[in-house]
Amino acid sequence: MIRNSLAADAKRGRRMRKFGLVMLAACLCLGPLAALAATQIYDARTKKWVDYDKRKARQYFARNKQVPEAFRRQVVPFRTAEPPGTIIIDGNQHFLYLIQPGGQAIRYGIGVGREGFGWAGIVRVGRTAEWPTWTPPPEMVARDPNAAKWAAGMPGGPDNPLGARALYLYEGENDTIYRIHGTVEPWTIGLDVSSGCIRMNNDDIIDLHSRVKIGAKVIVLMQGAALYKGV
Amino acid sequence: MKRSTKFRVAAFAAMLAAPVALPVEAADLVIAMPNWPSGQATANILKLSIANKFGLDAEVRELGTISAFVGLEKGEIDVQPEVWRPNFEDLIKKYVTDKGAVVLSGRAVPAWQGLCATPEAAAAGLKTIADLSDPAKTAVLDTDGDGRGEVWIGAPTWLSTGIERVRANSYGYAANLTLVEAEEDVAMAAVDAAVATARPMVFYCYAPHHVFELHKLTRIEEPAHDPAKWKIVPADDPLWVTKSSAATAWDTAYFHIAYGAAFGKKHPDVAKFLERVDFSPQEVTAMSYALEVERQTPPDYAKKWVDGNAARIDGWARQ
Repeated sequence: MIRNSLAADAKRGRRMRKFGLVMLAACLCLGPLAALAATQIYDARTKKWVDYDKRKARQYFARNKQVPEAFRRQVVPFRTAEPPGTIIIDGNQHFLYLIQPGGQAIRYGIGVGREGFGWAGIVRVGRTAEWPTWTPPPEMVARDPNAAKWAAGMPGGPDNPLGARALYLYEGENDTIYRIHGTVEPWTIGLDVSSGCIRMNNDDIIDLHSRVKIGAKVIVLMQGAALYKGV
Repeated sequence: MKRSTKFRVAAFAAMLAAPVALPVEAADLVIAMPNWPSGQATANILKLSIANKFGLDAEVRELGTISAFVGLEKGEIDVQPEVWRPNFEDLIKKYVTDKGAVVLSGRAVPAWQGLCATPEAAAAGLKTIADLSDPAKTAVLDTDGDGRGEVWIGAPTWLSTGIERVRANSYGYAANLTLVEAEEDVAMAAVDAAVATARPMVFYCYAPHHVFELHKLTRIEEPAHDPAKWKIVPADDPLWVTKSSAATAWDTAYFHIAYGAAFGKKHPDVAKFLERVDFSPQEVTAMSYALEVERQTPPDYAKKWVDGNAARIDGWARQ
């Protein structure tokens, strides 16, 4: 089980949000910068909820070679009026649901931006790519020499930060610039680490990519309601 | 509720613009079909029932309420299956009261709106409208870490969303809750996800609606509607929300079947039948669930409903 710790620690939440706002413009989708604890996981051994931050996530992953159980791909009961094939993204809980027939969904763990998606609304999968090229945004190129060498685009591959697959989210015919993509940092699933995009383990994004149809409805929930501004 | 007191601007514009096209091949009567599930189901149930009992061939034509009223007056439309009050009161005054061109069935389905709590929210003590003004209780609704809970109050284009804002101000819980506006599909998916992960959530809701079939929800208790405490300034005033006050429950809304007065004279037997149709709110919820959740098509659902309710339809048709 997991829960969002922010409700339990409002002061800390406020600090985190302020910091997040400063960093919000720093990068789009990527940018494995300082992680901020926004998640707790249930420790069955101590029977206590404990913060799940980047340090603990790295330790857990090093020990177990996988993320905590809650963030692993699994079929869960999920009653909804949305048709099978719809994607529902719950950034607060770090879950992405792919609706299945019979009141079920495939639930994947996700990593999200420090400020969540920054919006809520309904978009669709406009296109997908296997081993996508990553092109750093100009502000990142100007700031980061490592990004600058890929200014013309980093070819897809195991070191590419977009990971194995990418789903490009469109509003109507327009690319929203938001993506659901893989990651080279699998321990970041369950954390708020980047800005904007949704990251998944490469195995999971490959699985999701194989199941999703172009045009699939994607509902982004109201993560951090104060941030809601619509698409 | 979506089709009673809150109007989607785009849908409204579409309704105004929609032409009333003549059928290619004239049927015996034309039933207007709204774009919401219970209206679609009812239109098709009426079509099959009228065919079975009166031998008349009905065409079901997708049409907004305003266009349907225009068509009812011209004799191009004969039946409109769901006319919501009080939202279409202006149309009712014009076409029913003043012109006498349209007849509203005497029976109506009552509709409800207010706030709902998921099981975890109710278990956390959020059961009455007074509970929502207790910051210690509403802190569990916080999703963004500012210590204040969030409540979905409706879609940005709905008239009822502004009234929910008025109610939050009047009751006082606007002081400790963040009022969130978002499209209904987003809010309903949020309810689904909250229930799936046992999280508390409080949100605007209305019935009949399939969400009550999907989830075990608790309606937040509040004082009965009191017209003396319900002062809503017309929404064409830019400051209507701040000028209004409403510290009681919503009044009950209703929806009726409407038919053309000329059609009623030509087919008094069918008019009598329409006057006897008495769907319950539970049946309307079931229609919504069958079409929205189970993805049944309106004609398929109507066929099953008519086959399974033959005695009921006989009773409606008895002269």
